[in-house]
Amino acid sequence: MAAKQIDNPLHIWGHYTALIVLALITLAPIWVMIATGFKDDVLVQQKEPVWFFFVPTVENYEYIMTRGKFDRYLWNSVIVGVSATFLTLLFGGLCAYALARTEFKGRVFVANSTLLVRMVPPAVLAVPAFAMVINFSLDADLAVLIFFYTALNLPFAIWLLFGFYKQIPVELEEAAIVDGATALQVFFRVLLPLMKSGYAVAGIFTFRIAWNEFILALLLTGRTSRTLPVGAAGFITDTGVEWGRIMAMGTLIVIPPLLFTFFAARQIIAGMTAGAVKG
Amino acid sequence: MTDFTAGSVAVRTRPRDLSALIPYFFILPAVAIMLAGLVYPVIQAFYLSFYDWKIGTEFSGAPYVGFGHFIRMLGDENVWESIWVTIRFGFWTISIEMFLGVSLALLLEKPIRGASVFRTIFILPLMVSPVVVGLIWRYLFDARIGWINYYLVQVGLEPQVWLGDADLAFFAIVFTDIWQWTPFIFIIVIAGLQALPSEVLEASKIDGANWWQHILFVKLPMIRSILMIALLMRLIDVFRALEVMYILTGGGPGRSTELLSLHIYNRAFDTQQLGYASAISVLLIVIVTTLSLGILRMGNPMKDKSDI
Amino acid sequence: MTLKLVKRLALGAGAALLASAAFANPYAKYEGTTIVVSWPALAHFNAAETLVEEFTEETGIEVEIDALQYLKLRDRQILEMSKNEGDYDVVSWVVMWKGEYVSKGLLTPLSQFFTSGSLVDPQYDIDDIAGAYLENGGVVGGKKGYMPGASGALYGVPFGAETSILAYRKDVFEEHGIEVPATYDDLTAAMTKLHAAGIPALTSRGKTGHQVTAAWLFHLAPMGGKIFDDAWNPVVNSPEAVKAAEFMRHVAKTGPLGIETFGFGEASAAFLQGDAAMHLDTLKIAAMSRNPKLSKIDGNVGYALHPTGSRCGSETGGFALGIPQNAPNKEAAFLFIQYMTSKAGDQRMVELGGDPIRISTLKNNTPGNPEYPVVAEQLPCADPDWRPLIPEWNEINIDVLGQALTQVITTDDPIQPIMDEANEKLRAIMEREGYYTWASYRKSN
Repeated sequence: MAAKQIDNPLHIWGHYTALIVLALITLAPIWVMIATGFKDDVLVQQKEPVWFFFVPTVENYEYIMTRGKFDRYLWNSVIVGVSATFLTLLFGGLCAYALARTEFKGRVFVANSTLLVRMVPPAVLAVPAFAMVINFSLDADLAVLIFFYTALNLPFAIWLLFGFYKQIPVELEEAAIVDGATALQVFFRVLLPLMKSGYAVAGIFTFRIAWNEFILALLLTGRTSRTLPVGAAGFITDTGVEWGRIMAMGTLIVIPPLLFTFFAARQIIAGMTAGAVKG
Repeated sequence: MTDFTAGSVAVRTRPRDLSALIPYFFILPAVAIMLAGLVYPVIQAFYLSFYDWKIGTEFSGAPYVGFGHFIRMLGDENVWESIWVTIRFGFWTISIEMFLGVSLALLLEKPIRGASVFRTIFILPLMVSPVVVGLIWRYLFDARIGWINYYLVQVGLEPQVWLGDADLAFFAIVFTDIWQWTPFIFIIVIAGLQALPSEVLEASKIDGANWWQHILFVKLPMIRSILMIALLMRLIDVFRALEVMYILTGGGPGRSTELLSLHIYNRAFDTQQLGYASAISVLLIVIVTTLSLGILRMGNPMKDKSDI
Repeated sequence: MTLKLVKRLALGAGAALLASAAFANPYAKYEGTTIVVSWPALAHFNAAETLVEEFTEETGIEVEIDALQYLKLRDRQILEMSKNEGDYDVVSWVVMWKGEYVSKGLLTPLSQFFTSGSLVDPQYDIDDIAGAYLENGGVVGGKKGYMPGASGALYGVPFGAETSILAYRKDVFEEHGIEVPATYDDLTAAMTKLHAAGIPALTSRGKTGHQVTAAWLFHLAPMGGKIFDDAWNPVVNSPEAVKAAEFMRHVAKTGPLGIETFGFGEASAAFLQGDAAMHLDTLKIAAMSRNPKLSKIDGNVGYALHPTGSRCGSETGGFALGIPQNAPNKEAAFLFIQYMTSKAGDQRMVELGGDPIRISTLKNNTPGNPEYPVVAEQLPCADPDWRPLIPEWNEINIDVLGQALTQVITTDDPIQPIMDEANEKLRAIMEREGYYTWASYRKSN
């Protein structure tokens, strides 16, 4: 009796209906983007929305692939994303390990400061980063971007990996040490294999931010080092926003994060719930 | 306040002279990068705020103005207006997102078939690049060819200039933010609810509480810390946000959607007052640091980490 | 061994031949060089890409174009030009930035190229370029430091330069019996009439910041207003300036939906897509209206002079090409600019759907380009003091006027107080930047 009283008042069908409506609200704008990317200019400028039934064209994709220097932007984005992710995981992992597993002077201070610098707003970085580029005459733009993305992502990665290290029983390491392993061997042979999913989560979040980031990329990249989001914003031209092309570009930008979402939703949710995350 | 008591065994058993240094080698690269890439720019922002430096000129030629920028900032109604916009934006987005996210989570927490499909869908808006989010909604809100206006006319309402009216543009950025971030609250609250120990829930069922009482007096208090952290994180995000608005409205019309971060950006790169923009950055740093210390005081999230 | 020797001799002879060919071909020395051009993503420049390809074919100089939204150009260009060695060999600026670029020492004076016998083409004929264009786009110096005059020096050549003309829908005007407006009073009446008939009248830019100020400037000069008087006192609250602001409000109320969000692209799209009956902005609209990709109204567009208020005054704007002081390939860059703005290049731009800068081109191409006679007649009215091209203009333009005028077009607040407040803010900026030190020095003596 009592158990029935406190059942969720929503019937199972109501439950599904609500979820489906929410899912549609979530998906509709993304679908609009994908569909618009496959429309020709006439359809795009047409006031009456067409959701599904139109003759798709790939002319927008053709344009951005051939005229828009898409290959260069893509290559830059890949380099920046992969390098920043690799560096973040490497250095962040080492740091998280030290914080979780060793005792040293200043450990608590480093841990707390890491949390504090995580909150530094990108807008605050904008002017000093711009100043650094000018005053140090930095020309290797991609390296500058990779550096800032690594810095921006390290605090969160450390924080996340710290939690994962904490979950691994200390006994495993003790056993390895008894067997005569050095600290480095313990790290690489015992801990890393157990940390796979932790690194996957941290990697996805780091890559996502490095791949999507716009403001710093806009400031710090030049003609040869522009990344995809900056390239996409380039289609807001003076002859009007080229909606078809911009949506095609948007669709292409969204593909990797979309793939991550479909194949690693569990890890992403783990990362988010690990403490209200945002980049 | 912090829980850093776990195993320090591993290294202590090594010979003392070397082992004392090993942790520092481990943290050195990360700390160095964070110092150079996050802390140094913040210090640089303080430093630049004492100079009247304009884009395109040599910094060495920029005149020193002392606290001039800070004095100007205190009397600058534009700065206060953008802080006020940020606060209003934070208030509306966070309260609506929390309300929607938490109520949906409570309604829909029951494990059902296909839950993982829905969850995957709900994290999509968070994975989409902010630039792309801004572009999509700029298209939908467009006054001339936007889909939203078309459907308004269909149901017999007047078409609106969504991004060209102070109140409507503000509504548009709030709406976009809610679309993007409500699922986030929803997902973490659901995760929090499903991680609650079942014994306690059972106990309250036996006490005969009804559904509402159960929610209000048992479940919500139990996920209080998750809610608090989510709320503060969103609050800090509000002070960090600028990319979506940069694309969607650029801060206009007037300054009606110019959040503090965007205001700094526009000041620095539109009107080219790098020094003055740095002074406003300092203000932003102070605000964000205060909020962050608040989070640390509320409970170090690193502590929560140990039981993911 | 002998074979190698023969090969070497042959190669040497070939090189000698090539070298002698180089004397005959001014481009040969730069063959294989790649120059980088920074210019805006406007229709004229998109059309120019074909001419750029022809340039590469003819000269062997490779060109990479970096086309950006024009308001984003300046950040990028200034950043590149502030470095020791920049990325760009050619930059295209909006005329309003030239003063800033030159005063910050970012550009190369063109005289060093125009005096080089091996570079300059004797048939180039710089005097054929419309005087208003050349002076406004390329000459820096003179009175106030940014106007034509004896003390000016040449830093750029106009390309994609413009003035303002009125474009209107012949079919709509005919249907509703509206005369082509010659004065602002006619124009205001026509707008009211069109609006009453349910037709959005005049499209306009109106987005906060640069765009809304640019729109207001189109009406300020003909109405007799100015930003500053001759002693740098701001006068944006004068009766003329307030009248121009009132007109802006009328434009927003009778025009197409969304003017408050329009930049140039959106404003012109509204006209070209048939959502507005008039377009009072750059002459670029004419070429755009003939482009089937952009326009639904080709064949229905008429052109007239920019209506007059208390005087005739039209925009001086658009773009010019110049060479950064830190450009890696300055001479090849000059050859590029010369090619694009030569008589042949100018003619080719017309064929490609761009806008000419030379008087001879305007005269030779009247058939098929109904706006050219209007442009030729309009040019003498182009106001060289269209906006104050001082370094402080960005702040004035975006932060002060751009905000005040947004209030004008998005609210019903009384206009005089808005402009009074803007005027005070302008005065404070000029005070801060030391524009009044001479005046107070004179007074104290």
